[in-house]
Amino acid sequence: MKIIILKNALVQAIQNVHKAVSSKSTIPVLSGIKMAADESGLRFTATDLEIGIETLVPTLIDDEEIVQVKEAGAIVLSARFFGEIVRKLPGKTVEIEVKQNYLTIIRSGKTEYNLHGLDHEEFPRLPQVAGNQVFSVQSDILKDMIRQTSLAVSSEEIRPVLTGVLFTLKNGNLKFVATDSHRLATRESIVEAPPEMEFTNVIVPGKSLNELGRLLADNDVLVDVVVAENQVLVKMGHTQFYTRLIDGQYPDISRIIPTTFKTGLTVNTKELQGAVERASLVAKESDNNVVRFNIKHDRLEITSASPDAGKMSEPIDEIQVNGDELLIAFNSKFFMDALRVIDSPDLLIEFTGSMSPFLIKLPDNPTYLHLILPVRIY
Amino acid sequence: MTRYGLTDKRQILLVDMNSFYASVEQAQNPGWRGKPVVICGDPERRSGIVLAASREAKAFGIKTVDPVWEVRQKCPQAILVRPRMETYVEVSLRIMEIAKRFTPQVEVFSIDELFLDVTGTEKLWGGPWEVARKFRELVREETGVVCSVGISYNKLAAKVCCDTMAKKAPEGIHEWKAEDIEREMHPLPVRELFGVGSRMEKHFHSRGLVTIGDLANYPLHLLKKRFGVMGEVFHLSANGIDYSPVTPNTFAKDMKGCGHMMTLPRDYESAQEVEVVILELAEEVGRRLRRMQKRGRTINIMCGYKGFMGGFSRQFTMSEATNLTRDLYEAARKLFHQHWNGSPVRSIGVSIDNLVDDTVQQLDLFRDWERERRLAYTLDNLQDRFGKTAVLRATSLTAAGQALQRAGKIGGHYK
Repeated sequence: MKIIILKNALVQAIQNVHKAVSSKSTIPVLSGIKMAADESGLRFTATDLEIGIETLVPTLIDDEEIVQVKEAGAIVLSARFFGEIVRKLPGKTVEIEVKQNYLTIIRSGKTEYNLHGLDHEEFPRLPQVAGNQVFSVQSDILKDMIRQTSLAVSSEEIRPVLTGVLFTLKNGNLKFVATDSHRLATRESIVEAPPEMEFTNVIVPGKSLNELGRLLADNDVLVDVVVAENQVLVKMGHTQFYTRLIDGQYPDISRIIPTTFKTGLTVNTKELQGAVERASLVAKESDNNVVRFNIKHDRLEITSASPDAGKMSEPIDEIQVNGDELLIAFNSKFFMDALRVIDSPDLLIEFTGSMSPFLIKLPDNPTYLHLILPVRIY
Repeated sequence: MTRYGLTDKRQILLVDMNSFYASVEQAQNPGWRGKPVVICGDPERRSGIVLAASREAKAFGIKTVDPVWEVRQKCPQAILVRPRMETYVEVSLRIMEIAKRFTPQVEVFSIDELFLDVTGTEKLWGGPWEVARKFRELVREETGVVCSVGISYNKLAAKVCCDTMAKKAPEGIHEWKAEDIEREMHPLPVRELFGVGSRMEKHFHSRGLVTIGDLANYPLHLLKKRFGVMGEVFHLSANGIDYSPVTPNTFAKDMKGCGHMMTLPRDYESAQEVEVVILELAEEVGRRLRRMQKRGRTINIMCGYKGFMGGFSRQFTMSEATNLTRDLYEAARKLFHQHWNGSPVRSIGVSIDNLVDDTVQQLDLFRDWERERRLAYTLDNLQDRFGKTAVLRATSLTAAGQALQRAGKIGGHYK
């Protein structure tokens, strides 16, 4: 293999795939990035067998030559060294040449590195995903869906399915659900899909989605999502992202979300966020960061207390209350997590008693829903 | 003291019951007085060791923790007595009540040791010596037990004073004032300092620190460098400085953790059998937590192999604090399976720490905590009212089960 590539393009490509490099694998080749050159350009691949990212740097972009392939071939280079080296290279272009025994020469400006590479044949091939189940969604919408749901996944391996986000698709409506059994987040969106396309129980690891979220651009370009038996492939321009799915049956959540409520609240998001955050400062972490809402007909009082630290209270008057008065306690961390991913100026909170889950909704966006289970105080 | 220009003007008493279990037995069985009495486990079971020996038995060289067969060799005429823990606890409580007549500042340090802070009671009792004398008299009159009293200006000095001086004093009472530390405590072997065990003793000896005085004069920064915070504590202790207050016992509040351990009646070879005992231990730990209104997050399992051939002790921090037997059992069982190497199991223990108050409960979408909690507390209630054997798990009735056996014991010893 022998190529010349623009340094910026090389840095960008490495950055794209770097997230998939295995940091603590027992298989040495997985700590590397594979490069393969052919007439289409230079292809970068990294995987930790959980996720895989592949990105192509094409020979030409808008008639500008990005990569010049002088000799096709492939090599695997240690991500740690290669990544660091490339960023610090002095020239505008980088020449990479693979000699015998995987010896790789990297030249840029007056600098020359000789790196020991690894056999690309040992690098696992990314799965061939059969493309029968494909839908398309705007990059920024998918990114938002991930952001608003993945925070609710469980970090405990006791119930593996809960460490993932549930994807379902029906009638062109894509729905994400995540729960750690104390809170639940859902977000829906209409996507471009064949009318007959439908799937349930596709569980994507939350960690994978966070990496995907970082790769997704904040624009309305469509990305293709291929859903296969045990993996999902996302195609974004020249970059492809694979992830393994989680085995198992996601619990039925259809009956969990209440459809009616006894106390409804409309409140300014920022004001509430500030008050809950201030209240949480004296809440005790070991006691579930408990903060209380005391909802009266014309106001909401936010309080918290801990035996060691002291107590706090703050009323919010500018609110609209429908229904019964209520006193409820909950984990303020869950509440703040939920508010952090909300962009709406106001929000609706619907309660059905102090021992039942409550819902956080957006007045202008019915596709988002966040459910939090309260804390019982003895 | 003077070295630091610090003054501690408290008057602290440490009371230590001499050969406590044996004294109780001798007090209650007049025929045993003046004879070597040894309280020990069942010689038929291999957990049979000496728990306490009377003064007469100690003269034969019998020490606590000696195996029973050794006692028979050293002193064939020794009277071997099975422990009656309930009685000892009762006597201990009675002694505490006596102490409380003098001051409310009474801290139970162990079943046979009490701290009393009598600062400011001079007008009432005429000073610490008077308290010590009257207290000893009352205890002997009301329970028949003899005790020693160390008097000093803090807990540490009172304890060391009692252990090293009061026990040998004719009156059974000795006092150390601040100025006595250098003369009387410093020449003592370092091992006598409270908190110094055989391991620390070795560490100190290897540095040439043989007496408490050596330790007191050893450069502080070297101790800190080697032993961290503990180094500083040893330094202060050796200099007779200790500011810890006498805290009247608030058992549940300050509990850091709790646990249960037992030596099995025979070595258990199958995991299934061990699991039965793990479940029973988890149940006991859960009960203790519930009684204290606590929940714990970090579970520890300790397992000893056949013939003392090693074993392991491992812990795991659960995602949420719990006091439900089911969670404790699951966690302990998982730990056991992760670390068990298949050797026959001689002893097993389950303990928990990282405790929080059982006052809040995060509700769960897929689990009815409320129901499980009510069930657990109901079972506790049944056992409290009708005895530990009123409700048992079916597995406890299998050959491996120990719950029935243990129901008749306190701390693994006969009631």
